[in-house]
Amino acid sequence: MKRAAAVITFLLALLPVFGQAPVRTENLIYSVLAFNGRDYSPTFVRAASGTIYLIAGVDNFLTVRKTLVYFWPLTGEWKTDTDSLNVPFDGTLEVTGRRGTTVPVILSRYTYFNERGEYELNWKVARDAEADRVWAHWAQIMDAYQAAMKDYRERVAKQGAERSSLIARIQSLRNAGKDVTALVDRLSNMLELEAPQPPQDYVVPPAEIQQAFILNLPRGEYSLRLRNPDGSIMEGSEKTLAVHEKRRSRGIGFEVIPGDKWTRPVESSTPSAVLYVDGSSDLYLRPYFEDEYNDLFYAKTIRNDDRGNPNLMKWERIQQVPRAEIQLTGAGPGATLIREEPWFVEQGQGATLGYKIVPYDPQGAQKGKDPSLIAFRIPLGRGSPVVGLQALDSAGKPLSGSARQIRVLAPPPAEIVLPLLALVPLAAMVLVIVGRARRHRRS
Amino acid sequence: MIQARALVKRYGTFTAVDGIDLHIRPGEIYGFLGPNGAGKTSTILMLLGITRPTSGEVFLFGERYTPSRLDLRRRIGVVPEKHPRGVWPWMTAEEYLRFFAELFAIPRPQERIDSLLKKVDLHGFRNKRIRELSRGMLQKLSFTRAILHDPDVLLLDEPISGLDPLGIQQVRDLIVSENRDGRSIFISSHQLSEMERICHRVAIISKGKLMAEDTMENLVARLFREREIHVELEKVPHGLAALMKKLPSVLDCTVNANTLIVTVPRQGDFRRVISEFLIGQSQVPLRIQERMVSLEEAFVTITQENIGSLVSSGGGG
Amino acid sequence: MSDRARAARIIAKRQVFEALISPGLYIALVVGLFLGYFLVSGFSRAVDSSGFNPQLHPLYDLIARALEGAFGKTFVDSLFAEGPLPFAFAVSFLPAFLYIAVSSVFKFGLEKNAGAVELVAYGPADGTSYLIASYVKDLFLVLLAIIVIVAFMVAAAAFYNYVAGPELFLTALVAFFLSLALFAYGVLASMLTGNASSSLALFVGIIAFFLVVLFGSFAIVGEYVRNLSTVVASAVQWISPFFYGNLSLKANAAGDSLGFFGGLALLVVLSGVILAASHFIIRARGVRA
Repeated sequence: MKRAAAVITFLLALLPVFGQAPVRTENLIYSVLAFNGRDYSPTFVRAASGTIYLIAGVDNFLTVRKTLVYFWPLTGEWKTDTDSLNVPFDGTLEVTGRRGTTVPVILSRYTYFNERGEYELNWKVARDAEADRVWAHWAQIMDAYQAAMKDYRERVAKQGAERSSLIARIQSLRNAGKDVTALVDRLSNMLELEAPQPPQDYVVPPAEIQQAFILNLPRGEYSLRLRNPDGSIMEGSEKTLAVHEKRRSRGIGFEVIPGDKWTRPVESSTPSAVLYVDGSSDLYLRPYFEDEYNDLFYAKTIRNDDRGNPNLMKWERIQQVPRAEIQLTGAGPGATLIREEPWFVEQGQGATLGYKIVPYDPQGAQKGKDPSLIAFRIPLGRGSPVVGLQALDSAGKPLSGSARQIRVLAPPPAEIVLPLLALVPLAAMVLVIVGRARRHRRS
Repeated sequence: MIQARALVKRYGTFTAVDGIDLHIRPGEIYGFLGPNGAGKTSTILMLLGITRPTSGEVFLFGERYTPSRLDLRRRIGVVPEKHPRGVWPWMTAEEYLRFFAELFAIPRPQERIDSLLKKVDLHGFRNKRIRELSRGMLQKLSFTRAILHDPDVLLLDEPISGLDPLGIQQVRDLIVSENRDGRSIFISSHQLSEMERICHRVAIISKGKLMAEDTMENLVARLFREREIHVELEKVPHGLAALMKKLPSVLDCTVNANTLIVTVPRQGDFRRVISEFLIGQSQVPLRIQERMVSLEEAFVTITQENIGSLVSSGGGG
Repeated sequence: MSDRARAARIIAKRQVFEALISPGLYIALVVGLFLGYFLVSGFSRAVDSSGFNPQLHPLYDLIARALEGAFGKTFVDSLFAEGPLPFAFAVSFLPAFLYIAVSSVFKFGLEKNAGAVELVAYGPADGTSYLIASYVKDLFLVLLAIIVIVAFMVAAAAFYNYVAGPELFLTALVAFFLSLALFAYGVLASMLTGNASSSLALFVGIIAFFLVVLFGSFAIVGEYVRNLSTVVASAVQWISPFFYGNLSLKANAAGDSLGFFGGLALLVVLSGVILAASHFIIRARGVRA
């Protein structure tokens, strides 16, 4: 009942949104698939926006198209409706640098993929013939996998039929009082069929081959426009291109997963940050490498209509630190070295709400299941108000910028003391004024 | 001590001080007089280095004075026209003096402050705050501050303005006492009767120009070429005045009740001639007295008649 | 020591004494410390199992929303990265700083009009001694205020288990050096105008102008406002204390110690230039009430 009321209330709140359908307007946009330091993320630059933001020294993919654009108030962002209208344009993209040199860029076929994953970033871009070759390779191994899967399903089905038949025979012979030992042995010895492993060649498989203007530029400000095949300039295609780069790299940040809210992790990216917690649950940390970018430029690289502060720099997460260890101090006697381990979230049974995080046991309770998270567990309690931690690399050397403190806050022993301290200047004032008045009266 | 040469001060197109020469000698009490707006204050401020002259020079103790010569300023004590009541009203009289004692780096300051407070009869009020002191006490406090560092010259701007007769007397006594101790004193004041009593020399300024600078006697002698001698008789017989007039040294003779008013030249002593004449007329004078010209009369004469030639003919200081 | 410097020291001592026997500074400090107390105690209530979450406490929710709206989320994250103390210090410092600055400018005008400067100038001092004394007095009082507030923050850190780390002390350092230049502007405002109220109005106007320019170029604003602010800022930044303070803070964020201390040094240079201008003005205008 309560749930229904909540849903109705939510829907009613959305009424104004549904009542006024977002206005869709035709726009000449740039679709941008930009590399953001850790992966490729899509965004678009609508007509009203004058600047495109890209990171320097990496391949970024741009296309020009006509589509419908509308503002979505629920998330406060602009969106495209390419299902209704999507007209890509050919031509030559002209990129002009500060010195006035114009470089023409033509459409190229491309694909991109990652072979090693979040612990070892290894993004690659293949163009034209190479793209075809990569795609063909991926298609080939996927076909092989599909075929192996088909064969596996057939064998599983065959084995299943055989098992059923055996069981029926054992039952009927047992009912007939005959010896079924051999048949039972045969049933027990039936091997569990192993499913074929999915292809391990790619962590992020190659994307379907597309066509785009591929831009890989040094830092600076450029202007660009689209020249149509007939030689004319596409109206509305003039944009400024801000190519930026990281100021510093190889910083260390931590993804902080609280034990009681494991689906809502937070990030601690500022190197001088202190983690203040209430100590009500343990923490699970995942250290990552981070690079420092301009707040505004980076935000607009990810999403062109986002906001940011051009005067500030921000550390952005790039990749997980591979094979790291964490040295803890203050969590017990001496320094403790902890390793990254897999964990499993065990839901409460039956009507019990909640969960607990337990060590992942692939051979035991979690057989056939994947770990819920892989992280460093930091045990906390009110008895350890300050815990120091430092990440070490695979060689055991401290990673620069990875030192952090975790401080467990507790209510102070006597809350009145601090307000009383704040009154000390007042006491001093009274003493001074009274003392002076006394001296004056004595005269 | 203090010398000003051709001092000029202009504020835009208005000339407040127009080529003044002053000379205050060691050990004298020098009066500086002038009507409102004559340029007295502007002159004083230039002497002290508070404002810069448009042209001209100031010499203190024989040395050319500029505002950066704080060492020369140490030798002057200043009592401004009004003690700034709004300044440090929270300070006690003693704290006020201690502050200036520290500023002037006076040795054994507490001894000096105590003795001076006793001298000016303020010792009992030393812990009173400035805002609680009366006008007279403030003036005495100002005076004490000015002599705290034992200056060679005291510069007083309207020192008795606003004081009651007792206060005036006390300040006058202080001035005379300090002068007796060897200090030169420069006084700017409107109280002409007081100035007459204590000043050795006076200067009169009008419309930015120095009209006269001399002793009282010389000033009167230059301004007034005649003297009046009042002869009191029991009764003035008819025709006596006309007969008196015929005497060669007598310029004029009038009668006022039982008094003959005989006008004679400034130079010379005519009392004997007059006495002999009266005896010859069988008249016995009850009293023969010369009427003294006051500083006020001299002041009014100079400022209203603008006798500029007196400056060049008198030779002043 | 020159006569002028000596006189300045003595006058400054007297002015510090006067400030310390007046209630104003103490009240300003108490107000500031209480503001700081609310911030440090509120922070402990805005922390849960995953860390600092402003939404858990109404005061921090309000502050975070306002700052985020003006300067962006990154600003808020870095402001509270080390804990509440740097922000709490800045808020606590404001009342004391404003009191010292405003009362100094106002008082200088009042004293000058009452004849105090003239009175002192009759002695072995001049207008420049007086203005230096006033400036030194301001610096002494602000240093005293900073020490008291930092001590309070350190005590708060001990009570609540916060870090009283480099950011707190760097904030205090930047606050002191910013005060150098702002107080110098106060002295200049007192020299330029004829009475206390005008001095105060001019001083407040100068500071407000610099703050608006800083806000326009630092905050997240529309493109037109940003472009306008940038043009204005490029003209006035060389005389703006907030520009150099911002330079220092940016250098600190980038780990550039040279840049940080360079910004502070430039604040000292700016202060010197403004005081020198004040000296020439008072020499030209005189000390007459």
